[in-house]
Amino acid sequence: MSMDPNTSGISTEELVVEAREAQRDLKPSKLQNLGDHFKREWQLYVMLVPTIVWLLVFLYKPMYGLQIAFKDYSIFRGVAASPWVGLEHFQTLFGNDQFLRALKNTIIISFYGLIFGFPMPIIIALMFNEILKQWFKKSAQTIVYLPHFVSSVIIAGIVITAFSPSAGIVNTFLGWFGIDPIYFLTKPEWFRPIFVGTGIWQEAGFQSIVYLAAIAGVSPTLYESAVVDGASRWQMMWKITIPSILPTIIIMLIIRIGNMLEVSFEMIILLYQPATYSTADVVNTFIYRQGIQGGQYDLAAAAGLFNAVVAFVLVMTANTISKRYSRTSLW
Amino acid sequence: MSGVVLESIVKAYGAVQVVHGIDLEVQEKEFVVLVGPSGCGKSTTLRMIAGLEEISGGALTIDGKLVNRVAPKDRDVAMVFQNYALYPHLNVADNIAFGLKIRKESKEHIASSVDEVAGILGLTDYLERRPADLSGGQRQRVAMGRAIVRRPKVFLFDEPLSNLDAKLRTQMRAEIKRLHQRLGVTSIYVTHDQVEAMTLADRIVVMHDGRIEQIGTPMDLFLNPKNTFVAGFLGSPPMNMVEATVKAGGDAPMAEFEGHDIPLAPLNALNHAVGDKVILGIRPEFATIATEGTANRVPMDVDLIETLGSEALIHAMLGGKPFVLRTETLGKMDMINNVTGFTIEPNLIRVFDAKTGEALPGQRVEP
Amino acid sequence: MTNMNLYSRGDKLFVVINMVLIGLFTLSTLYPFIYITSLSMSTGFEARAGNVILTPVGFTLEAYKQVLSEPLFWSSYGNTFIYTIGGTLMSLLFIIPGSYALSRPQLKGRRFWNLMVAFTMWFNAGLIPFFLNMRDLGLLDSYFGIIIGFAVNGFNIILLRNFFEGIPQSFEEAARMDGANEFQVLWKVYMPLSKPAIATVALFCIVSRWNGFFWAMVLLQDEEKIPLQVYLRKVIAELSDDEEFATSLLTAAYSFETVSAAIIVCSIIPILLIYPFLQKYFSKGILLGGVKE
Repeated sequence: MSMDPNTSGISTEELVVEAREAQRDLKPSKLQNLGDHFKREWQLYVMLVPTIVWLLVFLYKPMYGLQIAFKDYSIFRGVAASPWVGLEHFQTLFGNDQFLRALKNTIIISFYGLIFGFPMPIIIALMFNEILKQWFKKSAQTIVYLPHFVSSVIIAGIVITAFSPSAGIVNTFLGWFGIDPIYFLTKPEWFRPIFVGTGIWQEAGFQSIVYLAAIAGVSPTLYESAVVDGASRWQMMWKITIPSILPTIIIMLIIRIGNMLEVSFEMIILLYQPATYSTADVVNTFIYRQGIQGGQYDLAAAAGLFNAVVAFVLVMTANTISKRYSRTSLW
Repeated sequence: MSGVVLESIVKAYGAVQVVHGIDLEVQEKEFVVLVGPSGCGKSTTLRMIAGLEEISGGALTIDGKLVNRVAPKDRDVAMVFQNYALYPHLNVADNIAFGLKIRKESKEHIASSVDEVAGILGLTDYLERRPADLSGGQRQRVAMGRAIVRRPKVFLFDEPLSNLDAKLRTQMRAEIKRLHQRLGVTSIYVTHDQVEAMTLADRIVVMHDGRIEQIGTPMDLFLNPKNTFVAGFLGSPPMNMVEATVKAGGDAPMAEFEGHDIPLAPLNALNHAVGDKVILGIRPEFATIATEGTANRVPMDVDLIETLGSEALIHAMLGGKPFVLRTETLGKMDMINNVTGFTIEPNLIRVFDAKTGEALPGQRVEP
Repeated sequence: MTNMNLYSRGDKLFVVINMVLIGLFTLSTLYPFIYITSLSMSTGFEARAGNVILTPVGFTLEAYKQVLSEPLFWSSYGNTFIYTIGGTLMSLLFIIPGSYALSRPQLKGRRFWNLMVAFTMWFNAGLIPFFLNMRDLGLLDSYFGIIIGFAVNGFNIILLRNFFEGIPQSFEEAARMDGANEFQVLWKVYMPLSKPAIATVALFCIVSRWNGFFWAMVLLQDEEKIPLQVYLRKVIAELSDDEEFATSLLTAAYSFETVSAAIIVCSIIPILLIYPFLQKYFSKGILLGGVKE
């Protein structure tokens, strides 16, 4: 800014004020910058506050409440005033057959889910990719995505009805082969196959979307040059499609392992009964029965904390591995 | 005092300074172009003027008012963005009217302003269309319409033509120039394209690494670049830089290059520089092609001749480095095909200090 | 590529076998729904006898009459609408401004706030502390509790935030230079530009609200406030737990099987109605979420 009063129509006084102000602006303090920032951008913070407050009240406050896992919690005293008992609840848990059984069931059911459930969406996606008739592909996709949107209560209702010993379609089929009705849902040995199978039936089609998207990203020129080289569809699937989507497969596998403990306990609650607890009861259903139904909040919270910490470690490990693998983190 | 004045403007992100104290006075109605390679701070400077980046230090005045801490909307400036930022969900009329509507102008005023602007830019027939249904040039016009409809004191352009193809760019360049002549609004224009800078600017500001290298009219910068950076940046093909040693000063100064003597214009600074290394800046347009036997010929190894029609580019090697000449073709094709060297008028050679890259003082070529 | 004549015999066989397998898989997905629908329209007697295979046997709408005459069915259906619409609007009210703010580079502490959101996806306190917290807040047995208590989730915020981040910042800058404040920028520019992403988030909310069952079961004791899924679960639980009770209610016209099948059909219908939208936006949604920090 020119300070020569002759070149401008502004009075000297104004210039002095301006110069002083300019001087100050040459080196604004940090605080001043921050003040300016909030003056400019306060609306952003107004938009952010509700979400942050919600997170604090509904998700972070319960984390504070987790301390009851180390306390002799009483409803009347509240979280803060209940006396500390150290690791007593954890000792109780690890001496508790039901908890250990639940832990074992969680791992076994997750493992089955992984072995049988993980490859299915990939196979379905590969098969969809080989369909040439667009109308057929579209309608088939429309149908196999549907169960994903149906509530677990309804799915459970369908399962219970279908496997019912008197009216159920499954026993009707078996009857044609001269097999006596089986009380499937009361038999511990049948629970895991039915549960895992239901999960695959409900989700495999929908989960194939991720792989279909990955397949769609494969350059068509790869297939064209393979056709020119005389490759068959089968060879192209193995030599082009699968290697191309391998990164996606590995990432999905890592996520899946990271979420191992997340057995859909909602469905278990709907399908199990005391007769099948021995194979069906998982950590979360155990927590639900002990805590919410049984009122042993502190013990159940301890089981929940154990579950959450293991899950956290698994997820973070999975995230780190996938970050290293793909250079993008999962969230 | 109208116009835009930058005084010691600094931009820092944390400890990293990207603009190191810029001083610039843009006169009212002037068209100033900030030009430089990417990362030179030109866009950041423009965005500080717009109010989109906070100013870390220094003073910015627009129309005599200190605006360092004034919100963008209250600075009375309008900006045309590189990607136009046209709202895809609004038609052309609503895009142009957006700012007026936000400012709650009267319906009649909005309608008449939009019509007027559409008339100026030839958009009258497209007012109902969505941006997606417009051609690149039309989108560009809408973006300008959105800026001029508010009648701001200053227009800011952030590489507005870089998304267009070459032909359209030339056409829109002329249109921007015409628009400026018609509206006479102070304009600051950022580009990395030196051709745009040369053709549009009243004055060009060449920036490099967060500093201003040189300010001047396009011809001035072309003829009298202050240093090798400016010399190399403006002009296409760029100025040839030949490293030579000063052989004699006085009235007949001379530089020696690979055993050849190149006469230079008399220059005081050369008297103390005998034996020093200098860089001779030779514009491809200023050297004259020479064939065997021409006096004062500097020989070169021609490796490629590109004929462009009225002109030809001669690519050669000079002392192991590429050297380019540009020459007219009419009646000269024979000579071009037999070219083995060049000659140059001594006063058209720009002499730079080899160490600092600065032009030796006292040289000046008038347009 | 789609010209079958260009295929070798092996390829043709491969394509045909593949089509048959996919067809079978598709039928196995569809069949249970057909079965349940047919069951709901059969007489109780035939249903009990296991005679319903594909189509209704002894066609009757008695089961539906029975369902529709039950006041609890209507109140729970109404409640589900309240929770779905109220909950979805509440979610959008939090999530849209919140994720917009989180997407802005000029937001101070942006990394911290984003981490705060992401952390809730990695670690949660679990059922018991959440339940006790809801109780301490006085939100048991309350419409408002169900609506507010599940308004925000990290995945939806990150999905929308990623979408907002993908919109060039010059839109915000242009609007601000035109004189818009942040609320106007969001309302007049970013929200119209983000319709697909907002629709996706809204549909995520709608589906999870419509299907939500566990917390409604835990938090709501008052029968007048329970949603459809909890009501359905009560009916089915009675069916599966108490064979004797089920038999006692058997009439020639309807049975527990046909009644619960009828409720299932009634509660799937709204999902089927919005299914075209679900299909359109969900696949985009799951691909938009997840990836990218």
